[in-house]
Amino acid sequence: MTLKREKEEYLEKLWGMKEDELDDLSILSSDMNHEDHDRILHELVIDGFIETDGGKVRLTESGETRARQIIRAHRLAEKLIFDALGGDYEAGACEFEHMVNTEMVDSICILLGHPRECPHGRPIPQGDCCKRALKTAECAVIPITEMIPQQSSRVAYINGKSNQSRLNKIGALQIRPGTMIKLEQKSPSLVIQCEGADIALDENVAADIFVWKECTKNRRACFQDDVPGDGVCKQRSGFGFMRRKKWRG
Amino acid sequence: MAINKENLKVGIIGLPNSGKTQLFNNLTGTYNIVANAILTTISHKKNTCKINDILCEITDTPGIHELLAQTYEEASTRDYIFDEKPDVLIMCMDSNRLKQSLYLTLDLLELGIPLIIALNAIDETCRRGILLDTRKLLHFLRVPVVECIALSGQGMEELKEAIFQAKGIKWEFKYSETIENGIDQIVCKLPTNIANQRKIASLLLLNDPYIIDFIKKYKNVTDENIQEIHMIVNQTRKEFQGNIARVVNTRRNQWVDDIANEVMIQQSLMPHEFEKTFARLCRTPLTGIPILLFIIYLVYLGVVNCANVIAEWMDSRIWVPIQDLINVLVPAGFFNDFLIGDYGILSLGLANAFITVLPILSVFFLIYNTLEDVGYIPNLCVLTRRFFEKLGLSGESVMPLVLGFGCKTMATLTTKSLQSKRERYIAIYLIAFAIPCAAQMGLNISILGRIGLEAFVIAFIVLISVEIIAGLILNIVLPYEEKGEFIQELPPIRLPTMKAVIVKTWYRMIWFLEEAVPVFIYAALALFVLDKTGILMASKLFLSPVIQGWLGLPLEMVDALILCMARHEAAAGLIIKLIGDGLLNFTQCIVAVVITTMFVPCFANIMAMIKELGTYRAIMMTVMINASSFVIAGCLNWALIYWY
Repeated sequence: MTLKREKEEYLEKLWGMKEDELDDLSILSSDMNHEDHDRILHELVIDGFIETDGGKVRLTESGETRARQIIRAHRLAEKLIFDALGGDYEAGACEFEHMVNTEMVDSICILLGHPRECPHGRPIPQGDCCKRALKTAECAVIPITEMIPQQSSRVAYINGKSNQSRLNKIGALQIRPGTMIKLEQKSPSLVIQCEGADIALDENVAADIFVWKECTKNRRACFQDDVPGDGVCKQRSGFGFMRRKKWRG
Repeated sequence: MAINKENLKVGIIGLPNSGKTQLFNNLTGTYNIVANAILTTISHKKNTCKINDILCEITDTPGIHELLAQTYEEASTRDYIFDEKPDVLIMCMDSNRLKQSLYLTLDLLELGIPLIIALNAIDETCRRGILLDTRKLLHFLRVPVVECIALSGQGMEELKEAIFQAKGIKWEFKYSETIENGIDQIVCKLPTNIANQRKIASLLLLNDPYIIDFIKKYKNVTDENIQEIHMIVNQTRKEFQGNIARVVNTRRNQWVDDIANEVMIQQSLMPHEFEKTFARLCRTPLTGIPILLFIIYLVYLGVVNCANVIAEWMDSRIWVPIQDLINVLVPAGFFNDFLIGDYGILSLGLANAFITVLPILSVFFLIYNTLEDVGYIPNLCVLTRRFFEKLGLSGESVMPLVLGFGCKTMATLTTKSLQSKRERYIAIYLIAFAIPCAAQMGLNISILGRIGLEAFVIAFIVLISVEIIAGLILNIVLPYEEKGEFIQELPPIRLPTMKAVIVKTWYRMIWFLEEAVPVFIYAALALFVLDKTGILMASKLFLSPVIQGWLGLPLEMVDALILCMARHEAAAGLIIKLIGDGLLNFTQCIVAVVITTMFVPCFANIMAMIKELGTYRAIMMTVMINASSFVIAGCLNWALIYWY
């Protein structure tokens, strides 16, 4: 393994530790368990990526930027492998993150509709593309609350990892990535049809369930605010990003 | 592995509203309330029956989605499986919800308990253009699969046969190394006499809110053990660096999808269903509110034009001749009073129950049961959610309140699953306060119907406003807590079958007679004794400033309020009699209905409140409800007098 790669693994670990609010150098060394531990740490300090202070270690600003890129690539890769290919995401993603550049990561992010969580349920750091997408509302995914009644769509992902009991509840009702749901009505409560059952939800829960935007003719028609006169929404099967590719071709 | 045993313990497990109780009724030949609604069964019901000369103890359980419990009812079903170790489990599978059912089936398969699958409601899937390949399902699951339609009793013989062919196939999933290590470590810490250790360990790892309570029930579990288990759980989560639940669920979902995709054949064009359209219309405010009002009006018409007529007919044809006969046989005096006097056990006891109350209740329940089987009532929670939100109740507690219109006791018991204490308190209070239960509703309609539609409208508007004001006040007074979330499965709208509705009404009437008639008689006896000893008159005089002055009611209403404590139906019967005697006018009638609806929740409801809140708070609540019911009824009296 090259030194660059080792350093990236370290940065990745440090980001994970930061998420868990840990900063002990001893944890880092025991978790990584690497023979060149001290050398890699030294290199990272020289690069200006980390600062060590007694038994503590933390990422510098530039280190954080770099780690963010790596983590983003890693978790997006997991998401890609998991959602689209249905494979063992851990093994593949470990290799992937070291090979791709920012542009490639961004395009994967666009394909996946700017997901916010990896399959483990950890947050994916936002890239420039996500921020742009937020502004221009060009997402490939929309929350259920923005669907039009009687429209069907496929669930892309469900946010809210902090609320495990809600996820369990939703999961037991088989609302999960990949299932088709149909919005029956929006007010006074949302009612969706999922796998043969009608389920009523409140807006807070519904806003965290994202579906692939399933319109083909007029994508803007999915937004209720500006539905054109006869904005026809056609249902198509398959993942959103697959079709996006087709349009480009 | 065929089962050879003298006694078989059979448990029926399934999703909520999948027809477990109907299966139970079919197998045991008994009757328990079946409804097209969730939370119909909230406690375990046991019964024995003989199948092939083997005594089977069959248990009906509340519905669950998976062994990971989210509500109290789900935890109780799981505890049943873990504690009582049934020999055979019947998985009642709702064909309409194949994936959800398979998800639960996987949990049961993992336990290794012999399992058979009853594929219920296949008639509905057929109509929806969905076909299930039973042979493939059998092939994948390797346990007996029986097609059945529980509602019409089809497939029951096959199901009985299959109980003896149930096979215990241990299905085990292996997860990644970190998770497996964690599970193994937890298993070591669990006491050896617990069954299903692996499942319990994985539930601990997934942070099930109720499983710790289950483990604590074992005597040889020390606090240290639990501490250690917590440590391992936290350690494993840290090591795994992610969401264990999600990874575990993904594996399971994959399994479900693989089977469902093979088994289910679905036509691409779904036929339009009248039921679906109707459900949607009921839930949208624009059409839903008119439908609701129309249904209430229909109930009103039914009770007034049908039940009241039957009751009057029965009174003149049956009760009057009996009265005349007794008058001839027993000369006026003590014994005549004892039998058919104002507080006679025949007049106030039996005739009240059989001739006044029973016809009204049977007509009302015929309509109510039809609505219940249609599945209309739970669908109302969508329509009324926003309204209840204003009262500080988030979605979770809407269902118990809606259920309160059926039976207040049961509704109070279902509040156990509400996460927030504050919401539970508000919900129990509102259920006990001004919501009339089904029987009370029927009788109220009958009483008010004698006076006119206007009285009916006024009384119910008052009751609704009381409920709103009480909710608003509680909402302000009680300290703020985070709101629960509203994720509620709705039962599908179904066309009811005449037979099921009639059978249900029949049993409800039988139960009413069994429960209420003795109470009616005892209450009449108590009043008779009070009357003869003069205590009744004294208390009437003592209460007259309140009853006559403040409430504007005749003194006879004291009897009704006393009867109310025994049984609300008895009080209603007395009020009907008072109207017949011309003792109550328009205003008094409304006040009488409002006060009897709010006054003292019935005994069973108070017991349920004590169970949920503790004795002190429950009694405080009852006292508060009674006090406010007097205040409100008095205000109403003066308002009506001022108005007219």
